Amino acid sequence: MATALRIEDLHKSFKIGFIPKKKEILKGISFSIQEGEIFGYLGPNGAGKTTTLKCVLGLIFPERGKIEIFDQPHLSLQAKEQVGFLPENPYFYDYLTAWEFLGFYGQLFLLKKKEKEEKINYLLELVGLKKDANLQLRKFSRGMLQRVGLAQALINDPQLVLLDEPLGGLDPLGRKELRDVIVRLKGEGKTVFLCSHILQDIEMICDRVAIIVNGQIINQGTLQDLVQEKIFFTEVIISGLDEKELEGLGECSSVHGERILLKVFEEEALERVLSLVQAQKAKIHSLIPRTETLEDLFVEIVKEK
Amino acid sequence: MKKSLLRGKSFSPLFLVFFLFLSCGVFMGLKLRIEQIPRKKVPGSSIIYIPTGKFLKFATFGYSSFFADLIYLWAIQYYSDYSIPDRFHYLDHIFSIISELDPHYVDPYEIGSLIAVYEARDLNSALKILDRGLEKNPDQWLFPLEAGHLAQIFTKDYNLAKDYYRKAMGIKGAPDLTKRLYANAAFRTMDFKTSWETWLEIYTTVNDERIKKIASNHLYQVKAAIDVLVIKEAIGKFRAKFRRNPSELSQLVKAGYLASLPKDFDGQDYLYDPLTGEVKPTTIPWKR
Amino acid sequence: MKIRAIALNTFKEAIRDRILYLLLFFAALSIILSRALALLTVGDRVKIIKDVGLASLSLFGALMAILIGTSLVYKEIDKKTIFTLLSKPVHRLEFLLGKFFGLVFTLLVMLSLMSLIFLALIFFHTFKIEWKMLIAIFFIFLELVLITSVATLFSCFSTPILSSIFSLSFYLIGHLSWGLETLIRKIQSGIVKAFVQILYLFLPDLENFNFKTEVVHGLQVPTKIYLFSTLYGIVYTLFILTLAILVFRRRDFI
Repeated sequence: MATALRIEDLHKSFKIGFIPKKKEILKGISFSIQEGEIFGYLGPNGAGKTTTLKCVLGLIFPERGKIEIFDQPHLSLQAKEQVGFLPENPYFYDYLTAWEFLGFYGQLFLLKKKEKEEKINYLLELVGLKKDANLQLRKFSRGMLQRVGLAQALINDPQLVLLDEPLGGLDPLGRKELRDVIVRLKGEGKTVFLCSHILQDIEMICDRVAIIVNGQIINQGTLQDLVQEKIFFTEVIISGLDEKELEGLGECSSVHGERILLKVFEEEALERVLSLVQAQKAKIHSLIPRTETLEDLFVEIVKEK
Repeated sequence: MKKSLLRGKSFSPLFLVFFLFLSCGVFMGLKLRIEQIPRKKVPGSSIIYIPTGKFLKFATFGYSSFFADLIYLWAIQYYSDYSIPDRFHYLDHIFSIISELDPHYVDPYEIGSLIAVYEARDLNSALKILDRGLEKNPDQWLFPLEAGHLAQIFTKDYNLAKDYYRKAMGIKGAPDLTKRLYANAAFRTMDFKTSWETWLEIYTTVNDERIKKIASNHLYQVKAAIDVLVIKEAIGKFRAKFRRNPSELSQLVKAGYLASLPKDFDGQDYLYDPLTGEVKPTTIPWKR
Repeated sequence: MKIRAIALNTFKEAIRDRILYLLLFFAALSIILSRALALLTVGDRVKIIKDVGLASLSLFGALMAILIGTSLVYKEIDKKTIFTLLSKPVHRLEFLLGKFFGLVFTLLVMLSLMSLIFLALIFFHTFKIEWKMLIAIFFIFLELVLITSVATLFSCFSTPILSSIFSLSFYLIGHLSWGLETLIRKIQSGIVKAFVQILYLFLPDLENFNFKTEVVHGLQVPTKIYLFSTLYGIVYTLFILTLAILVFRRRDFI
C-alpha cells in the first residue's frame, strides 16, 4: 500500500507584529497517510491544522521539513494533479454560475471539452446541485457553497482529497450526505485527509487520526488504538421498577413518568439490575455502555496542555 | 511549447533575477537611444487650453502658487528651447496664467517681459506683462521702472517712458534713479518745464556730490534748451520784421523781443552766429 | 492554456466592475463636452476636440488601469479565492500573468469603446476618419499596459489604497521626467551627477508614449522613434512583471 502523504519534521514560524516577533506555529510535525484510508486531523483552534494543510498545498513555505505526495515532491505539478482541496469557509467567484465555476477549474486541469462536461454533470449530481447548475454563486447558501466547493475539489478525480473543516455549518442532513460522499470516495480507492472539530463525525468515518496541539502531534494512530475500550458506565432506561428497588445499584439520573434513567458503574451491579428486571417483568428501554469517546480523549489531552 | 516549459520546475529565482537585470539594462539603453533621436517637439501645447480667469485659482485647490511655480519653470525651459519656432505665440497667455495663479510672484513678470522684448521682439507684450504686474502689485516700483526703461531703449518712445517713470516715482521705495530717468525723459519729450523742476528738485535735495554734478549738468542742458528756444523765437520775430538776422543778440533786447538776454546756467552768454542764426551754449554740459 | 483560462476569468470579473462604466461615462462625457468647448475657439475647432479627446482617453484609461489593477490580486488574496486556485497545478507566475492579461484585454475593450466615440465625434465634424489618431491611441494603450503591470505588482503585496497611491506616483514620475533632465544639466559633474543620470535612465519615461501633440498637429515623426518607444514599453513591462513574479513566488498566504 503506497503512502499517499508523508510529512517529516515540518517547521514553520511567522513573524507577526510591527516589530516582527517570531511565532512558531509548527514545531516538528511528522505523520503519514496510507493510500485508501480516511485520515482525521484534530486539534483545538490555533493548533496549526490549517497551516499544515497550507504547507502541503504549497500556499505556505515551511522552513524545515519534507512533504511528499505519492512519493513525489509536494510542489511538483504531478503531485498537484493528484490533489483536490476544499478550504474552510469557501468563497468563490460569485459572478460565475456553478457550471462556469467548475468549467474554469476544469480548464486549469486542461480537460478536454467533452470530458469536462461529463465530469461537471457527474459532480453536480454527486453533490446534489444539479438543479442549481445555472445559478450564480452569489445566490448560493452556505451549504450549497460547501457542496460546490467539494465538487471543485473533485474535478480532476484526485487520488488525495484534502478537506478543511467541511462539516462546519452544515445541517444534520448535509453532514450525513457529506459523510456518505467521503465514504464513497474511499470506496473508489481514494485517500481522504479530513481536518475537523466535529469529533462525532470523525469517530464515525475515520480510520486513523492524529491529534495536534500547539504545533505538535500529541497522538496518532487508529481509533481503536487511541481510545480505550474500557467501559465507564452503562446507561439503562427502565420502566416498571420502583426507584427504591434500584437503590445501591447505581445512580438514578432522572425520572420521566414511569421511566428511570440509571447509571450503573459495576458490571455485577448491572447483572443484578438485569435479573431484577427479568424477575419483576419490568421493561428495559435502552442499555448503552458508555466507553471513552474521542471527545473524552481530546478534552483530556487538551486540558493537559 | 509553453506546456513543456512549465511542466518542469518553476522558473528558478536566479533566472528571474538575471532576466530582471537584463530587461533593466535594455530599457535604460533604449531610453538613451530614444533621447538621441531628434524629435520635433511642441511640448505642453495643451497648456494653451488652460483658460485664464479668476476661477483658475480655485481650480487648483489651494496649490495655486505651487502650480504657478511649476508652470513658470516649464515656461523657462520652453522658451529656452530654440527649436520651437512659434513658441511666442502664447507668451502672454502663459504668463497671464502664472500671474493669475500667483499674482505676487515677481520673477515671472520680469522674465516674461524680458523674453518678450529680447527674444520675441514684442515690446507690447512685454509692457502688457509689466502692466499686469503693477496692477496686481501696486507697491512694486520695479515694474513701471522696467517698463519705462524698455520703452525708452527699444522704441525711444519717451512719452511712454515718461509716464512709466512717473508711476514708478510715486511708489515708495523707488530708487532715486527713477526721478532722474523721469526728468531725462521729460526733457526728451520737450516737456522742459517738468524737466527743469525735477532736476532742480534733485539738485537741491541730493547729498551725493557726483549726482549733484549730474543734476547741475542737466539743469544747464535744460536751461540751455529753454533759452535757445526763447532766443530763437525772438530771432524769428526779428527776422519777420527786419528781414535779416540780428547781428548781435543784444539787438533782440533793444528791439523789445526779449525782456533780457538769457545767460546759461553758469552765467555765461550764449554763442550766436549771425549768418546762420544758430544759438548755442558755450560748453557741452558734460564737460563743465 | 491555463494563463488564458485565468485571463478570461479575470476579464469576466473586471468587466463587471462598475467603476469601469463610471469612468467610461465620464470619458464619453468629456469627449462630447469638448465639442462644446470647441465652440468657444476661433479657428480650428477640431483641434480642441482631438486634444481633449486624446487627453481623456489617456487619463481615464490610466484611472481604469490603476483602480482595477490594484484590487486585482489583492481581492483574490483577501477573499481567499486564491487558495483553491493555487492548490491546483498552476504556477504562481501563470496566475499572475493570467490576471495581467485579463486586465489588459479589459482595457483594450474599454479603450476601443472610447476610441469609437472619439473617432465618431471627429467624423461628425470633419466627415473623414482620422486614422492618424490610432497611432496616438496605440501608444496610449502601451502606456496603459505598463501602468497595469505596475498596478499588478503593487497589488501583490499591498492594499488597494496604497497600491493606487504608488501606481499614481509612478504615473506622475513618468510624466515629470523632463524635470529631472533639466535638473541634470544644472548639476556639476561628479558622483552626484552620475547617480542622478542613472536614476533618470531608470525611472520610467512615460512621455515616450506621448504622441498626442504630434498626431494632432500632423507632424512627421521618424519611424525609428515609434519602434524604439514600442520596444521600450514592452521591455519595461517585462521588467515590472518579472519583479512581480519574484515578489509573488515565495509569498506565504496565511
